[in-house]
Amino acid sequence: MNRTFLLQQVLNGLAIGSVYAIFALGYTLIFSVLRIINFTHGAIFTIGAYATYALTGSQFGINGLLAGATLPFRLPFVLALLGGSVVAALAGVIVERLAFRPLRVRGADPLLTLVSSLGVAVALVNITQYLFGAEPYSYPDPLQGLPSAVNFGTAAAPVLVRTVQVVIFGVSMVMLVLLTYLMNATRTGKALRAVAEDMTTSSLLGIDTDRLILLTFVISGFLGGVTGTLIGLSVGVAGPYFGIAFGLKGLAVIVLGGLGDIPGAVVGGLIIGLAEAFVPAQYIAYREAVPFALLFVVLLVRPQGLLGRAQVQKV
Amino acid sequence: MASFLATYDFLLVSMVLAAVLALTLYLPLMAGQLSVASPGFYALGGYIAAIMSTRIFPPGPGLYPVSLVLLEMAVAAVVSGVLGLAVGVPALRLRGIFLALATIAFVQILGVVALNLDVTGGAIGIFGIPQPFSSAIQYMWLAVPLLLVSMLFVARLERTRTGRALVALREDELAAASMGINPTYHKVLAFTTSAVLAGAVGAVSAHFINTWNSRQGTFDTSVNLMAFVLVGGSRTFVGPVVGGLVLTALPEALRGIAGVDVLPAWLAAFLRDGRLIIFGILIAIGTVFFPHGLITPGLLRRLGRRGARPG
Amino acid sequence: MSAAPLAAADLLVVDGVTCRFGGVTAVNEVSFAVARGELFGLIGPNGAGKTTLFNLITGLTAPSGGHLRYRGEDITGLPPHRVAERGIARTFQNVRLFGELSALDNVMIARHVRTRSGLVSGVLGLGAARREEHETRERAAALLALVGLADRPEERARNLAYGDQRRLEIARALALEPELLLLDEPAAGMNAGEKRALSDLIRSVRARLSLTVLLIEHYVPLVMHLCDRIAVLNFGQLIALGPPAEVQKHPAVVEAYLGDST
Repeated sequence: MNRTFLLQQVLNGLAIGSVYAIFALGYTLIFSVLRIINFTHGAIFTIGAYATYALTGSQFGINGLLAGATLPFRLPFVLALLGGSVVAALAGVIVERLAFRPLRVRGADPLLTLVSSLGVAVALVNITQYLFGAEPYSYPDPLQGLPSAVNFGTAAAPVLVRTVQVVIFGVSMVMLVLLTYLMNATRTGKALRAVAEDMTTSSLLGIDTDRLILLTFVISGFLGGVTGTLIGLSVGVAGPYFGIAFGLKGLAVIVLGGLGDIPGAVVGGLIIGLAEAFVPAQYIAYREAVPFALLFVVLLVRPQGLLGRAQVQKV
Repeated sequence: MASFLATYDFLLVSMVLAAVLALTLYLPLMAGQLSVASPGFYALGGYIAAIMSTRIFPPGPGLYPVSLVLLEMAVAAVVSGVLGLAVGVPALRLRGIFLALATIAFVQILGVVALNLDVTGGAIGIFGIPQPFSSAIQYMWLAVPLLLVSMLFVARLERTRTGRALVALREDELAAASMGINPTYHKVLAFTTSAVLAGAVGAVSAHFINTWNSRQGTFDTSVNLMAFVLVGGSRTFVGPVVGGLVLTALPEALRGIAGVDVLPAWLAAFLRDGRLIIFGILIAIGTVFFPHGLITPGLLRRLGRRGARPG
Repeated sequence: MSAAPLAAADLLVVDGVTCRFGGVTAVNEVSFAVARGELFGLIGPNGAGKTTLFNLITGLTAPSGGHLRYRGEDITGLPPHRVAERGIARTFQNVRLFGELSALDNVMIARHVRTRSGLVSGVLGLGAARREEHETRERAAALLALVGLADRPEERARNLAYGDQRRLEIARALALEPELLLLDEPAAGMNAGEKRALSDLIRSVRARLSLTVLLIEHYVPLVMHLCDRIAVLNFGQLIALGPPAEVQKHPAVVEAYLGDST
């Protein structure tokens, strides 16, 4: 296998992988604090993508209740991105208040919370589809000034990665650093980890668990919105169900990396991205099965994931 | 009556098949296992019937023999059972969320495989599946016995040694093991039985729907099943059956309401197309307010007592 | 503390058993033997490792070292259901009944290892299965009567009074037809009268069913009164072993208990 090809595949893998990584960061953050799998992350991600689309003043298509609608103003892309992510964060908070908090208050099994999040996610995605239709959308290109791809090879043997993918990789690394810093080096982070460890005791010690949980959902939702928009920018918004597809693949990423482990989300994402990139050409049709095959194997062999710790069951 | 059947024939059969599928989620749940693998076996069963009836058995004049459909159901059941065993033995060592995730992965993998094999027709799937009956309502000849047999099976199961073992595992797996009940054996048993049933339903459904592709038996199906069991009731076999029947009928009933002119257009459209929205919201509400579903053993006992009292 | 000489009449042999969880050594090289028919007590301050030892014997936890022998067979590392099959039954420190099920169902479930009907014969209601079902029900009812719960077979287990729940657990354990019965603090939460009744129940059950009983108990008078021999654990180690009168005076035991202000 020649070096150029190898490098290209590796970079493709990292590009795909960093997409999964930023998705997984928000996903695993909620698990790290609340020990629940929040499948609505995929729906929030969708809402963020659609909100940004609306905020760029773009028009919705012919299906859906709001067919042909546009907002009466248009924002430059970055502001739309931020705005859309704020909308996503808000959606996350609403979901938390309406769906998860009642379950938490009743001491519900995490499995029940997973089921609830599945229902809410499907409902939200279908509401989005009902409102905006299922057609693909693409954003007005904010990177017009920049070259469309970055060359990591030579002029003679080019190894190209699209600029937007480089941006995504950069964002994922920045997010990783920021979240790790937050969790490990700030007081808020310490409080979050206390809540993760033992919610009742933390609350008794005067930690405002409600506010911290809210903060977790705000961060996670915002991240979800950013992710949705960036991915929409990179591959286009392929209909609201792409949130469900990501939600499902995201499960593989966070389990592989270790549920609740923040660096694990990035490691898991990059590994799955690389695995997908290196699927041999004749099996390319089965590429979509790769994350799930990995998920199944990891669950059987090492359910705590690569970076997670094995859980000792106390009898 | 005739026009009612003519309008709603497809719906009625769908309701009955949905009720049987709901039982496939109920079976592992009896042992405390949340497994959403049955859509995968449902898809597999459908493909087996579709392939057998379109590629293996020669097309004849007139209707497709019911006996062949029964044969396909048997083959689908056996193949699903074998695959269920193969997947179940390793997977059922997992607990709780991890098992649920593994079964989600399983369904996704099957879906991708189905999308890409020639024998399953790839993305297009298989269409023109032969019909054993001349009208949709006649599928009740297959669907109703299937439902009755499975209901009888599960009802009986709840009263036997094996059924008690499953319930004990659900209540407290460690205590059950300490009382001599082999957890893995029983969990695999429930899982495999569920797979067998799902495969049989799939086989009938393939004929019923006339085409079969990778859009049958997906993650969405899992969500439907969860709604049936969560809302209908997860502690007695009556729950999933009622859940399946009612929730399948619900969108039609809502569609009927939507036909009433008084409603604003957007609400009418919502009631028409919002099946998954409604199910999703019902699931969210159900987990909070009635986690064991609407039909509970307690409710059945009360109804039974009320029926027994004279006057 | 050296182990008692291993005799042929020994039903259970605990041989150098150790259990480590992470950094904690819950049970540290414990050795003793329980003779057939004995009423053997296990006492020690909180956290001494008594319940962990029960968990090791019944297979809920695997030992980090040492062996367990039952009727001469090495049962080290067997899963709980296999241990139960061989005739060891237990109750739990925190009652672990099948709460949603009736008292009768709880006991019937424990008949599992002594019955054989499988899935198919059960569902079909074949003759042998039906007879077995009938017999299971009768035996369960008899056991409920034995522990004084005959009047409430259909009562949901979680609705029973605490003392009744503990007795139900004993009935359930007895449904296994065990040779060795492990009772983990069976008298907890009982008043004096109930404790006396329990004491009588244990003695009568031991005699009637030819059981060997291993008993963890905090209430020392009960143990002294009831047991043939007592082993004392402290911090996972066996510090004394012998008849009650001896153990009571053993200096290490006195220190362990006086050091523990409860």
